[in-house]
Amino acid sequence: MAILEVDSLSAGYEDGLVVKDISFSLKKGEFISILGRNGSGKSTLIKALQRLLKNVLGGISVDGEDIFGLNRRQIAKKIAFVPQIFSYAFEFNAMEIVLMGRYVHQGRLSSLSSSDSRIIEEVMELTQISHLKDKKIAHLSGGERQRVFIARALAQDTPLLFLDEPSSHLDINYQVEIYKILKSLQREKGKTILSTEHNINLVIPYSQKIIFLKEGKIQAQGPPKKLITKANIKEVFQAEVEIRENIHSKLPEISLIPEVQRTDETQSS
Amino acid sequence: MTIRGKRRLLFIILLILLAAGFFFSLLKGPVPTSFKDFMNLLFRGDKTYSTIFIDLRLSRVLLAFLVGASLSLSGAILQGYFQNPMAGPFVVGVSSGASFGAVLSMFLGLSMTFHGFSLQSIFAFFSGFAIVYVVYLLSQRKGVFKVETLLLVGIAAGAMASSLTSFLIFLKSESFEQAVFWLLGSFTLSDWRQITAVAPYFFLSLIVAQWLAKDMNLLALGDETAQSLGCAVNRVRKIFLGIATLLAASSVSVSGIIGFVGLIVPHWVRILIGPDHRYLFFFSSLTGGIFLIFSDLLARTLLFPTELPIGIITAAIGAPFFIYLLNQSR
Repeated sequence: MAILEVDSLSAGYEDGLVVKDISFSLKKGEFISILGRNGSGKSTLIKALQRLLKNVLGGISVDGEDIFGLNRRQIAKKIAFVPQIFSYAFEFNAMEIVLMGRYVHQGRLSSLSSSDSRIIEEVMELTQISHLKDKKIAHLSGGERQRVFIARALAQDTPLLFLDEPSSHLDINYQVEIYKILKSLQREKGKTILSTEHNINLVIPYSQKIIFLKEGKIQAQGPPKKLITKANIKEVFQAEVEIRENIHSKLPEISLIPEVQRTDETQSS
Repeated sequence: MTIRGKRRLLFIILLILLAAGFFFSLLKGPVPTSFKDFMNLLFRGDKTYSTIFIDLRLSRVLLAFLVGASLSLSGAILQGYFQNPMAGPFVVGVSSGASFGAVLSMFLGLSMTFHGFSLQSIFAFFSGFAIVYVVYLLSQRKGVFKVETLLLVGIAAGAMASSLTSFLIFLKSESFEQAVFWLLGSFTLSDWRQITAVAPYFFLSLIVAQWLAKDMNLLALGDETAQSLGCAVNRVRKIFLGIATLLAASSVSVSGIIGFVGLIVPHWVRILIGPDHRYLFFFSSLTGGIFLIFSDLLARTLLFPTELPIGIITAAIGAPFFIYLLNQSR
């Protein structure tokens, strides 16, 4: 059964639509990656799916319910969001940030319940940030900070988890680490995950489904094995690549063709 | 020390400072009085100095506390609201707008009272609100809410209101003291009626702020994050802007513009107990009230028997601290 059903969605800002005529669906427990160049509308799409933009047209149903009939609290109980990393004006510590994920489940004046504490402890362990709980968010590394935001989203305890470019600004070891955490969440917690990304190779082993976004429209969608082709990459990213098989995963992997070699090739052919 | 321990310690220290502030403020004034006179009033019912202690000094110290608490709470709200620790009632233009309204009503000779509200404070409210509203509209005209624009527009609008205020005062220029009162602030005119013009708004605002404190924590992370965490951002923002304006306007209408309080006090508190608004609102109010009690004490005693405008004291303490903060944040 589809947990997210998107039907001819168009969305944007007051000066016009950025994404147009988007339709796709997501099954419970799936991991989907939305790939595209910078400015292709990835961030707009991931925000539109949660109705974070004013200008959203079309149909979105989450967990069988029309999202336009839900208020913010109800949406926040279905979808948790990890936005792109940025810095905050105030020095909250990691624990305080994670705790904010419980907002939607708490009363206004109530303090931490025992079930809140249990969930907080669990998600901090899952994301391996328990030792950082008293550290100011500004003093953490990029990878640690991203894990704190993922922990906050997990504390929200939603079936769906959305992430906007979770690996951007991270070193390569942290990039892989974030995706490993996401995979374990999918497996062990049954989370349905939707993530935007520009690093294609990074998401191939983790995604059941890929959507290629170009100029605000879906160029192609399907499983990575089918979709990662020379032609598709050229069409979406305007990049000449070779597709090879990753020696470990046996999955397709793109490799860039350096300038020098490409001129050689064109001469020989 | 745990953050809870820090909060507890700070609370105890603030209570001691508050008691000390009340004590010294009650004993000190133009008429020489002793501790014995005060004790006589308290325990023997000796009414000789009752007017001085109760009507003059007690009303003044209470007013100083309420104004300091209101300005600081307003500042704490605005800083969270704009996600900018450099915001405050003055920066957004509310204080200057309210001051202009109050002076305008005087200029027009409208000094009647109406259901317990003076027309002057009603003018102050509305012109404070008007400035904030204009500033708010201008800064989100393109549908996107730009904090930098808002601060700049706020400062410009505030400067314009202040220049109009000065203009009105100098047009009528019968009293230099009036100009000093409105532009630099003072508690010389304190009485019980003024307390009733501040206290209800302060307590109402504090209750609302505490009620929405968790929402403010989310707002401080940005609108989109706050929404995705379940906060009804638009409604909460309107309420917070409303009470921040109410607090600043009611303070200004009884004591003129007292600068830097709303900006500096939430900073001090944040350094001591962190940014969690569930505690920041309450502790900023308490600290701000105490800060103005002591500032007023200084204003009254530094050049005794002459009284300094309190705005001079708060700027002398606040401005260097502000520069220090700016320097640190770089």
